[in-house]
Amino acid sequence: MKRIKTKNSVCYYPRRFRDWAWLWALSCWLLGTPSQGEEFTFDAAEFEKKPYHFGGYAELRPVLSGLDRDAALHRLRFFAEDGGRTTVEYNGRLQIEGDLEQGIGRAFMRLNSDYDNTAAGESFKTTVYDGYLSLKPTPNLTLEVGKKSLRWGTGYAWNPVAFLGRAKDPDDPELNLEGFILASVSWIKSFSGPLQTLSLSPVLLPVYDGFNDDFGETGHLNIGGKLYALLADTDIDLLFLAGGSGPNRYGFDFARNLTPNFEIHGEFAYLRNVRKRFLDATGLGGEREEDTLSYLIGLRYLTEAETTWIVEYYHNGAGFNREEMESFYRFVNRGYETFLATGDASGLERAENAGQGGYARMNPMRHYLYLRAGQKEPFDILYFNPAVTAIINLADGSFSLSPEVLYTAVTNLELRLKTTFLAGKRLSEFGEKQNDWRLELRMRYYF
Amino acid sequence: MRTLPALILILFFALAAHAQDGEALLQRIDRNLNPESYESYRKLINIEPDGRTREYVLFSVKKGNDKVAALFVSPASEKGRSTLRLGDNMWLYMPGVGKPIRITSLQSVVGGIFNNSDILQLDYAAEYAVEKQEETHDEVLLHLKAKTKTVAYDRVRLWADKKKLLPTRIECLTEAKMLIKNIYFKEIKDFGGGIVRPSVIETDSPLYQGYRSVMIFAGLKAREFADEVFTQANMPNLEALR
Repeated sequence: MKRIKTKNSVCYYPRRFRDWAWLWALSCWLLGTPSQGEEFTFDAAEFEKKPYHFGGYAELRPVLSGLDRDAALHRLRFFAEDGGRTTVEYNGRLQIEGDLEQGIGRAFMRLNSDYDNTAAGESFKTTVYDGYLSLKPTPNLTLEVGKKSLRWGTGYAWNPVAFLGRAKDPDDPELNLEGFILASVSWIKSFSGPLQTLSLSPVLLPVYDGFNDDFGETGHLNIGGKLYALLADTDIDLLFLAGGSGPNRYGFDFARNLTPNFEIHGEFAYLRNVRKRFLDATGLGGEREEDTLSYLIGLRYLTEAETTWIVEYYHNGAGFNREEMESFYRFVNRGYETFLATGDASGLERAENAGQGGYARMNPMRHYLYLRAGQKEPFDILYFNPAVTAIINLADGSFSLSPEVLYTAVTNLELRLKTTFLAGKRLSEFGEKQNDWRLELRMRYYF
Repeated sequence: MRTLPALILILFFALAAHAQDGEALLQRIDRNLNPESYESYRKLINIEPDGRTREYVLFSVKKGNDKVAALFVSPASEKGRSTLRLGDNMWLYMPGVGKPIRITSLQSVVGGIFNNSDILQLDYAAEYAVEKQEETHDEVLLHLKAKTKTVAYDRVRLWADKKKLLPTRIECLTEAKMLIKNIYFKEIKDFGGGIVRPSVIETDSPLYQGYRSVMIFAGLKAREFADEVFTQANMPNLEALR
């Protein structure tokens, strides 16, 4: 056991302001309490491995939103009520994970409980995000069965090759996501020479009633796979998914550091016979089937001043074009006018169904640009990391702009204050979102 | 006229022999510092000018010249994160993100003065060539030059104890020979298994006045690993090695 002495420092109690002592104590806690005559010790036995592990986080997330009462998606959601100009919601989340390890076997479980108190009412939902058994008989081989979130792809904000995962929110791409029930095998081999690593991971994904039935068409056993290579210092993946629950998909992705502070990455996904439903301005529905190509090209760049830039261009081949989106918004507006004049909400209900079918989803159109600049601890303010993110729809010029600050001065406590401004003309994607702006405080404590 | 080429030839071979001596010396210093393949626990402490601290505990494994991986054991907010280095390639795995992302040697996954290449340190001889060697009464000074542009520090000056052949101090410099970091090796400890080496590494930097970072080693022991331990696919499973 080793001991190192550091300089003395004390969090002084200000005698002249006894009444404010509690405030001072709070600020000391938030800013981190300086040590007094500190000695550093390290006894590795304190961190001895146990056969089980338990952890997670608890989160509170109040949100204040400024509503755009003339926007199509506001009309669609709030047509029957006067929601006011702002709305407040209170969200809470408890995410608990645990695992048990014995020999070559491991069982892992991650539970996510969400409490939401919004304008739509109160809701509480607990979901098993992951729950699987894993066997690792040799360092080369891993077998897994159960519910697992597979995150394929090298993109940060979007992953067109994430054939076996749920779509992530580009506004918060680092959140855990719910997995699907599957069985997989992973075989890895290392080499010396330009090809350093090769791995093959076939996956079986059953989709039946009550069994991954939100993945796609039921009654199919789907098979997918990933071939990974670290070749000439470049990560390369070849991916596929087939089986009938959705279109057959073929993908390729890569990532490589061109210099120690400059990384490039990309993804390409080719989908056969994608069925796409659409509405015209009169509400007439249609469906067409086509092959689509989606791709993403991106980079990360770290400057000498420790600003990290992330830039990504995303082409969503299955997305709607500008005319199709404008038709949908016009149909919503027509339905809203009919509702105001006659009280007949059937048009809005049809629009709601179409919205759930794709129009109201995240990033439903074809051309997007993602820009994020994050500065590490500017002006020597420790544990204070501001960032600004822009998501721009290149087809209609609308965008969201999100400045945020992350503060982590207290061990295991993460505070994030984030605002989002949505801007765009009428009949544009971000111009027709239900909000003009959002202000969100996320308080997360890890245990 | 024949003497000049002969002198040049002698000088060339003398310099080459000197460089070879330096390379061999650096390799011995590397081996004295760590076995070629090993596991260890490390506590990283970032110390701010007012004495506030932030601590992290990592479990690290290394194999050969170019393979290192580290798993965060504490605090809870970092637990389960892992980093992997294969030569010049580095990745960070965060359980929330669920897949490895590429990181750079110049970033720091823990903040403070230790950057990723300090935390995932390879053998010095793997990354640096010995340009010059000087000796004092009890120390040897090696002037090192990065073998490639991807190495975090272009130049390094390494002082080592002449008898123990263990580093005592390192200066990390830019290409323009500007000092960016000092690393001090302290408190030699017998870890068992013939491993006797500094158990504390401390660093400061003229670029971060008043800040210090400390790395304390424990449980350092030789251990053999399969190459496949050091792969992206294995990053979520490093806990199984503990």
